[in-house]
Amino acid sequence: MATTYLKQAKGIRRVSDIITVTAAATPETLYQRTTGGQNPRTVILRKVMIYNNTGANAVVEIGTGLLAAFAAIVPPLYSLNLFDNEWTEDDLPVDEVGVSADLTVRSSVLGVQVQCEVEEIGS
Amino acid sequence: MPALPQLYPYKAGAIEPIVLPGEIVGVWVNKQFTFFQVDYIEGVLRSDPIEFDFGAIAAGATTAVTQLALLEMPDNEFGQFRAAVIDDISVVLYQGRADQRHKLRNRVASYTKFTDLFDPDGHEGEFYVFNDNNAFGQATNQTDYAVVTARIAFWGFRYVLTELSQYSWTAKPQNLPPTWTRVPATAHL
Repeated sequence: MATTYLKQAKGIRRVSDIITVTAAATPETLYQRTTGGQNPRTVILRKVMIYNNTGANAVVEIGTGLLAAFAAIVPPLYSLNLFDNEWTEDDLPVDEVGVSADLTVRSSVLGVQVQCEVEEIGS
Repeated sequence: MPALPQLYPYKAGAIEPIVLPGEIVGVWVNKQFTFFQVDYIEGVLRSDPIEFDFGAIAAGATTAVTQLALLEMPDNEFGQFRAAVIDDISVVLYQGRADQRHKLRNRVASYTKFTDLFDPDGHEGEFYVFNDNNAFGQATNQTDYAVVTARIAFWGFRYVLTELSQYSWTAKPQNLPPTWTRVPATAHL
């Protein structure tokens, strides 16, 4: 018997800017979480869109932290040159509590364009 | 035997009038109830709400306490309103420019983008505006960037009243109507 998972909205949806990765293998901010009312909100990754026109295939990682503090929150995503890629809610592992930090992105090749959609919870 | 209507404010679910025409309300203003008979009720539509824009707000900034002038009521009328914010702002409601609503001792609840999520009908944030006891709001930008518009929408009902001066909350002993519905049109300070 199939089990179902109720994806009840707990927060509000936001999108990041479209980020063009400026340096290979160097994390940069993808989504800045909202300050919110009582406390900064937490962030649940709901969708990732990537376009790769760099001339090379790329490994793209979504996580938190910059420089050596980078920690991925999903496995590496492989982006083929001249392809667009989308990972949606059904594809992404979801921590319903959310991440208490800005989201960052790291790509093995510079020039990859990345945008994400998040659900922010809090107040 | 027909069921009696349930007459009370803050009723859960889609907004309904809190009383019917011909019934008696006690409106809480100036720390006392004043009694009126309801003569007429009219809707203020959710589909075309009364929309107020606090204007552009810098990242994380808060506006001055601003009168929600579009919610002014004519004499001998009160309005029943619910609210939903449209942009990512929080709005604290004041009735009396210095008197916050929805407050505890140390914390004031505000209308936010999350209000719609958990209270889609807006009943927890229902409030009442009587005569010139005007409503005011103060908006805070919740985001890390400037917002161009800071909008909040209101909808509900207006009630046209006739004062019933034969009843008195302050008389000793009090002289109260046999049945009446409480309308908290200002804060209980």
